[in-house]
Amino acid sequence: GCWIPSPAPEDIVYRSSLCRKLRAGECGATLDFAKQVGSEALHPGEDLGGSVGPLHALTLSPPSHTAGPFLSRNSTIRMTALVEDIDRLEARRGCPRQHLASRLRWFSHLCRDWLFEVPLGLLADCLHEELTHQWSSLLFDDSLTGGALAWLPPASGGPPVGRLVHPGGQAMNHLHFQDVVLEELPRARGSPEQFELSGRIRQVAAARVDGQDFVGVRSDYHCGVWRVPGKTGAAPAPLQVIRTDMPASCLTVSPHLPGELSVCTQSGTVYLWSVETGLQQLRHDPQTMFFRDHSPWRWSDFTAHPRVLSCADRTGLQCVDARAPKRCHFDLFKVGEEAGCQQGERVVLPMYLGRAHPSQYLVTTQFSIYVLDERLPLVPILKWGHMMKAPPLFAHLMPGKPGRSHKVLLGASRTQELLLLQYQGRRSRGSQSVCQLAGTPQKLHDIAGCLQHLPTQLPHRQHLLQQRLAAPAAGLAATLQEDGPHNSMLVFQLSEAGDVFCQRLTHKAAQPPAPPSRDEATTAPGSSPLFEAPASSPLGSDAAALRYRRWLRALSRACREPPRHTWRPSLSQRRLFTRRDLEGPAGPSSLHRQMRQRLRQTMREGGRVQRWEPLTTLQRPPLPQTLEPAGGLEPLNARLTAAWAGDWEQWWEERSSFSVAQRQRALRERRRRQKRAQGRRSLSASFTSSLTYQSELSELSDSGPPVPSPGRPLTLSREGTPPAGSPPVRSPPASPAHDEALLSSQSLRCRGIPKERRKTLRDYLSVWAEGP
Amino acid sequence: SSNEHKLNFKKSKEACLNYIQDALLQKQWKRAAEFLTCYVEALEKDYSREHIGPSEMIWRIGTEILWHHSQSSMKEFNCFMEQMKTLGVKRYLKVCLEHVFHLLCNGQIDEAYQNLSLAESWRFGEQTAIQDKEMKLIQAYRGLLDYYSWSKQKNILLEQGEDGFSDLAVEQEMHGYFRKAAVNLKEIIKIPGVWDIFMKCYVDLLEFYGDHNEARQVLNEYAYNSKFPANPNAHVYLYQFLKRQGESKKSLISALKILHDIVPSHELMIDFNTMLQKSKKRKKRRLGLEVIFAALDYAGWKENAKAWSCLARQVKQIVISEKHLDWIKQEWNSRKDWWPAFHFSRYLAKRNWQENKSLSYEKALVAGILLGKDCKYFKYVSHQGCKAQLKRFRMLKRFVNKHSLVCLRISG
Repeated sequence: GCWIPSPAPEDIVYRSSLCRKLRAGECGATLDFAKQVGSEALHPGEDLGGSVGPLHALTLSPPSHTAGPFLSRNSTIRMTALVEDIDRLEARRGCPRQHLASRLRWFSHLCRDWLFEVPLGLLADCLHEELTHQWSSLLFDDSLTGGALAWLPPASGGPPVGRLVHPGGQAMNHLHFQDVVLEELPRARGSPEQFELSGRIRQVAAARVDGQDFVGVRSDYHCGVWRVPGKTGAAPAPLQVIRTDMPASCLTVSPHLPGELSVCTQSGTVYLWSVETGLQQLRHDPQTMFFRDHSPWRWSDFTAHPRVLSCADRTGLQCVDARAPKRCHFDLFKVGEEAGCQQGERVVLPMYLGRAHPSQYLVTTQFSIYVLDERLPLVPILKWGHMMKAPPLFAHLMPGKPGRSHKVLLGASRTQELLLLQYQGRRSRGSQSVCQLAGTPQKLHDIAGCLQHLPTQLPHRQHLLQQRLAAPAAGLAATLQEDGPHNSMLVFQLSEAGDVFCQRLTHKAAQPPAPPSRDEATTAPGSSPLFEAPASSPLGSDAAALRYRRWLRALSRACREPPRHTWRPSLSQRRLFTRRDLEGPAGPSSLHRQMRQRLRQTMREGGRVQRWEPLTTLQRPPLPQTLEPAGGLEPLNARLTAAWAGDWEQWWEERSSFSVAQRQRALRERRRRQKRAQGRRSLSASFTSSLTYQSELSELSDSGPPVPSPGRPLTLSREGTPPAGSPPVRSPPASPAHDEALLSSQSLRCRGIPKERRKTLRDYLSVWAEGP
Repeated sequence: SSNEHKLNFKKSKEACLNYIQDALLQKQWKRAAEFLTCYVEALEKDYSREHIGPSEMIWRIGTEILWHHSQSSMKEFNCFMEQMKTLGVKRYLKVCLEHVFHLLCNGQIDEAYQNLSLAESWRFGEQTAIQDKEMKLIQAYRGLLDYYSWSKQKNILLEQGEDGFSDLAVEQEMHGYFRKAAVNLKEIIKIPGVWDIFMKCYVDLLEFYGDHNEARQVLNEYAYNSKFPANPNAHVYLYQFLKRQGESKKSLISALKILHDIVPSHELMIDFNTMLQKSKKRKKRRLGLEVIFAALDYAGWKENAKAWSCLARQVKQIVISEKHLDWIKQEWNSRKDWWPAFHFSRYLAKRNWQENKSLSYEKALVAGILLGKDCKYFKYVSHQGCKAQLKRFRMLKRFVNKHSLVCLRISG
């Protein structure tokens, strides 16, 4: 299917000058991670405030009713022009309502039928919240931390078939287990094993314990764990799923014990999750550890001791003993002086380097990487400024064999950067060699960079391809292939569009002048594409070219479908209430029964039932508006009641403003209405008694929802302002029973009205009943 | 429009820096060097208040490029460094130190020494706290080089001493180096920090001249001063010193006890355990069991056959004597929920058997005692051992079967 890209800065910020700024500067001031992560950036930047402001104002301004002169216009508005108007409005911030541009009013008019339905203050709040959220995730989306791509290496001694675990599908909610044959060119074998999940997959983590792979999958509110048996071709089995109230921000799989994971949620809770024994809460602290930072991001990983877990937030790392989490903990890393951190530096991704050295830890910040030894905490044993443009969200470790360097890959999401660094620091017998970088770090090809090596397409296809390849990275995995003389490294990269890319780095023997211990890996000229995805370099082999063509065809086919989001959205309320909700009480009420009885009787008599009024003996059913919304009433109940009574708007104002003055006004208004109603009744007393029921009818129609009549345009008038045409009618407060009695034909007969005139009188009354 | 010009200048400066970084990360040293020459213009209008200014940028990037550039020579490198020293006064000492490291990496020890001496005599205005610290570091490194010369002289003398021939001049020179080295090294280790290499050199000097009291004091200070970071190496050095001095078991044990508290997974824990096992005191033997259990908690010790044999020996002793079974029980209580999966799974039994028979023997013994004879690990290993007709394993099976009642009391 076609990929739905996540919002770009232009989608949120529409002020043209800002857009230009964002596009021009690759690491512009507004996309400054340090600023965003730093506590001072809780309030969105100046630019953001300025640009979200108008939208806020727009939604808050009430729908205008003065739409008369515009009726001849067509119903489309150019949004760009509207935005300009709003910008102008923003310039005169002092009193925006007085200078409402006509286009803006027209917009309000067009939208008033639905805009009115939405509580404006609420909409504005929601919109503002959503925009802020979108903006911050645009600046730096930490939900992807850890990456959603995992590589399960081939079982030792088995055939060279590994597995890639990654999300796919339009919503990235399908978990794929794809067998990959490691030949000269890695090749996908068969179709992937698929699991459909209920949310977008944010992270896929894997670890191998006792020859079995455990795969943890994190989406916002669910985490799941799968077990993949060591035998090739064995089907992955889902083990357990947990649901969290707050979005989970981290899921790591224990490299020590089977079926153990650690989970962090954004509320600051860290759990040790064992498939056998369930969840154990290790820590709950909404505050950050070492100094105040607003970010709710938390991380946790395992350490050399299987019962000791590290807990991280943006300010540092602590280790907690699961056997006594309250008492036993120590600081592992602190953003501050000991590590020589810069101002605004924050932890981005910690990772346990246990496969290389049992007590070493990697901590990346947006500026540097640190290697720590948990035996000598707080003092980094290696520090290096990585110079990446975006903070490294993904990391992958490939431990080297004795005498070789360990390789760490760092990956960024938005910029697709990929960095390979090698370090040494091995425990040799007795003495400990110093941890140091081996050779200089090296940048690897990013996905978007391979476009220039691909054959040119038709312009629109080229554009499509470019967009697809520029999708942010979503995961990173790698494997070393050490078969004899041809040592190479395969790097897999997942993009947010769900494509998996692969590049191969072949080992070249270091040149004689260079120190022999240096392990240089260089990109081979013929990097290879995996699956249907293209990769860098002119397509080396025929197989790769074929795969690329197939992928491209599928891509253009998927995108030729009409994009669904351009259709007019329609909202269905059908499911809002179930049928049962809409049904009345289970059995027919006594009223029903009586009505039916009456209907049958009338039919038997061959007469007509003109008004569905209960018999004189019946109690009048209480009308909804008589239900005075009491203080203890449920909000929804109160709101529905208000809506029924037609003064919904007032109800909203009452609810949203809570101002005493308004309440008093409302109270006064209600009293006046009551008085008027009473007045009407008393006035009608001077009419003939036959008119009394009319007054009752008008009262009914007055308080019910307005009935559309051809003569007047539809207006939603406030309750209490009587329609201009209706004369003030007064009637004495008659008892309902009495009124009902008047309407029946028997009573008319009793009053001496001749039979032939009775119909005329009824017709007359019904005209009155139809409204003013 | 001067403002605009300023902005444009800033932008192009940033762009240039990006190009340089790009080239650096792709090992295109020549391209990086070309861009760097353009970047030098950034010095002209340095309005930036960034964390790292352009001059520092040039220094850092320039060194990196010159270090890797195929056509650069040491002479050019030195020349560049000299220029960098004059470029920023505040950075002078840092640049000097970096220069010295590069010279040392190239084996030019004498030049490095000269540079350090020069830097030491440098003065600029009032000395700030940072400058003071950096100066101490420079002096310390000079002390280190003095120590290096001293140990060279010492080796010459030792060789000559074997021939029964001594050179007074060499000896004099050596003493001179000692004095210079000792003064500088002594200073740096007073400042709180991690100074492992300086410490070792200083202690070596003191020990050679028989100043054991000073050495002990310095080592104690380094290990126990709370202002210093909790450095496990400090305790290791102290322990090694005490051992060299032939100190009593008691003081050795107390040194290792602290190391155990800081780093239960330290390699020395095996020595510690052996020492404690031999002790006559019950409390110490008990501590020994704790130590070896704690060490085996760590992933790095999983396949350490020596540690497993220590544990197996002590556990076996306890089971045979049937005294202090509660020790094992207590240690086992906090581990019984995760050790079976961590150490004694069937998968590990297979792998250990294939890779290291003696490791699997020790582990099987422990597993048989802690988990009983029905434990997967023990069953697999003893079965394989009997199949391979290894006498050791048959004995092992017999031992565990014989003591199965005791085992039940532990695991129950």
